[in-house]
Amino acid sequence: MTASAVLPQAIEPPVSLWADAWRRLARNKLAMVGLALIAVLLFVAVFGPWLTPYDFLSQNIDARNLAPSLAHPLGTDDLGRDVLSRVIYGARTATLVAIVVTVIAMVIGIVLGALAGYFGGWLDAAVMWLTDVTMSIPNLLLVVVINTSLKPRLANWMEAQYLETLNPIYRNSIWIDFILVFGSMALITWPPYARLVRAQVLSIRNRPYVTAARALGLPTWTILTRYIVPNAVGPLIVAVSAGLGTAMVLESAFSFLGVGVNPPMPSWGNMISDGLRVWQHYPHLLAAPAIVLGLATVAFSFLGDGLNDALNPRGTK
Amino acid sequence: MNAAPAHPVAAVPESAPARPPILSVDGLTVEIDGRYGAATIVDGISFHVAEGETLGVVGESGCGKSLSMMSLVGLLPNRIKVVGGSARFGGKDLIKASKRELRAIRGGEIGFVFQDPMTSLNPVMRIGEQLMEPLIYHRGMKRAEARKRAGDLLRLVGLPGAEARLDNYPHELSGGMRQRVMIAIGLACEPKLLIADEPTTALDVTIQAQIVDLVKSLKARLGMSVIWITHDLALLAGLVDRVMVLYAGTVAEDAPVDALYAEPLHPYTRGLLASIPKLTHEGDKAERLASIGGTPPEPGRRPKGCPFAPRCPARLAVCDDTMPPLLAAAGARPGHRVACHAVNGADRAIAAAEPAR
Repeated sequence: MTASAVLPQAIEPPVSLWADAWRRLARNKLAMVGLALIAVLLFVAVFGPWLTPYDFLSQNIDARNLAPSLAHPLGTDDLGRDVLSRVIYGARTATLVAIVVTVIAMVIGIVLGALAGYFGGWLDAAVMWLTDVTMSIPNLLLVVVINTSLKPRLANWMEAQYLETLNPIYRNSIWIDFILVFGSMALITWPPYARLVRAQVLSIRNRPYVTAARALGLPTWTILTRYIVPNAVGPLIVAVSAGLGTAMVLESAFSFLGVGVNPPMPSWGNMISDGLRVWQHYPHLLAAPAIVLGLATVAFSFLGDGLNDALNPRGTK
Repeated sequence: MNAAPAHPVAAVPESAPARPPILSVDGLTVEIDGRYGAATIVDGISFHVAEGETLGVVGESGCGKSLSMMSLVGLLPNRIKVVGGSARFGGKDLIKASKRELRAIRGGEIGFVFQDPMTSLNPVMRIGEQLMEPLIYHRGMKRAEARKRAGDLLRLVGLPGAEARLDNYPHELSGGMRQRVMIAIGLACEPKLLIADEPTTALDVTIQAQIVDLVKSLKARLGMSVIWITHDLALLAGLVDRVMVLYAGTVAEDAPVDALYAEPLHPYTRGLLASIPKLTHEGDKAERLASIGGTPPEPGRRPKGCPFAPRCPARLAVCDDTMPPLLAAAGARPGHRVACHAVNGADRAIAAAEPAR
């Protein structure tokens, strides 16, 4: 074999597909801007308690509706609370909700979509029927119904538990908000992921390398988890990046309407809602949370576009 | 009881193989459940592969070459089913075997090499991982052990830089190198039978020759049997022991390779051989390349008689309504069988179709 004369050190080091995609992503300026904004957002969300100049709950009657100043960079609201601190805590809420909701929706979507696409038949029909039904229900309506019907019952139940056990866990009504907000939002955001994964699996399951894996006698589980799903991940990453932004907007929208995270827990949505009532007099109360929310969603959408180009290099020019 | 194929199959015994058969297929019939009802796509084919033998399976696209081989190990698409026949392999009937048994046989005792090495490897998995997979699954090897064996396999198939390649992704290798990796994967568990489905079709000619030589030398070293599916008769000459020519899901001719080249009997085989381009010295006065007019019949629209009759230059009246049985050709070399009225004589066909032979 003449070819074996080639020395092993002549082989260039392996370049993974991901390293390759990262190189393409790094060349995209908008995507890098988005990534930087997201990094700042995550940093602020994680280290919020150490960054806030004031407690987000402490009120100061003498310092109400102050314009931005050195002491209060973004001013104060009608209860004299520091707006910057509240925006930072709002970032915590938005990030937590977006990540948890997207992860739940994605896991449901991957599992149902992959099973439907790979096995087809009645399972596929059932999953697709479920996505159709879910998507046909207006998002806001479903969340309003869940919140108005379940929240009082859950609150009552927790009150009863507290009286019985005196365990302070049951005292914290923020948990109810989070469980209901996460649950209802995941419930309305999973179908697009399921459809995307199913479509991917449908095209991948007939690729020659899947046939080759079956010809190797590998079990179905291995074929699904090692041959099919990893190859479907590219478009899914793009969808998740865009989905994180969408989830933030959704959370704000629900809070804006009063069916999301409730005061006093700060959320950009309910800050916008409060600010809207007085924006002619105190525009900073509306501008601060609205601009931050806008930046966050733009950042995710830039990153999503960049990932799309980086992971599907043939799709561009 | 006959789960009889649509056309009578000759009961003429072939000359006993010198070595015991490792795979013997009898009356394999495959149907597709199409829009207009079931159509037969493999029509009662019978063949055997002896230990250490290489069988070439030849035919145009859509003649059921790959399909008949895939049907043996349960690798058929949804709407396609085996409806009759048996396939004995290592004391088991593959057609009756459970899914679990077939999974153990695939990759374990029967290895595969596929046509297109560019798409037959998982693009997001390092080739070392893909080589280790069957070893871990079928042989129960530990990862370290499997990795060592994977390196040995890459050296066995002559991949330059063997071990150093384990961490490469498929896109970092050339087509020929990938096909070597495919062969290494196919051979990982030392199968008794390797089914190579047009393994050289997607490669350029110089690489084709390398791959053919590689399989020949590996076969000699490992003593396995090989089924080599191709539409390229020229490729088979120095590679296989026996050739089976398929046409529209039936066996047209089955012969030792030298007998087939010396004296092709079936008009279809002759047509295939005539359509191989030849290099002549007078390049300026090149002959027009022979071709066979028409296309194979679609499943479900097969003629009642010989499926090749509409395209056949030697057609007789009887060909249109009686399927010619596969018979040992009179005056030909031992083991040479052909299904053609013009060669065998229509009276022999009718005699063979009688139950009391």
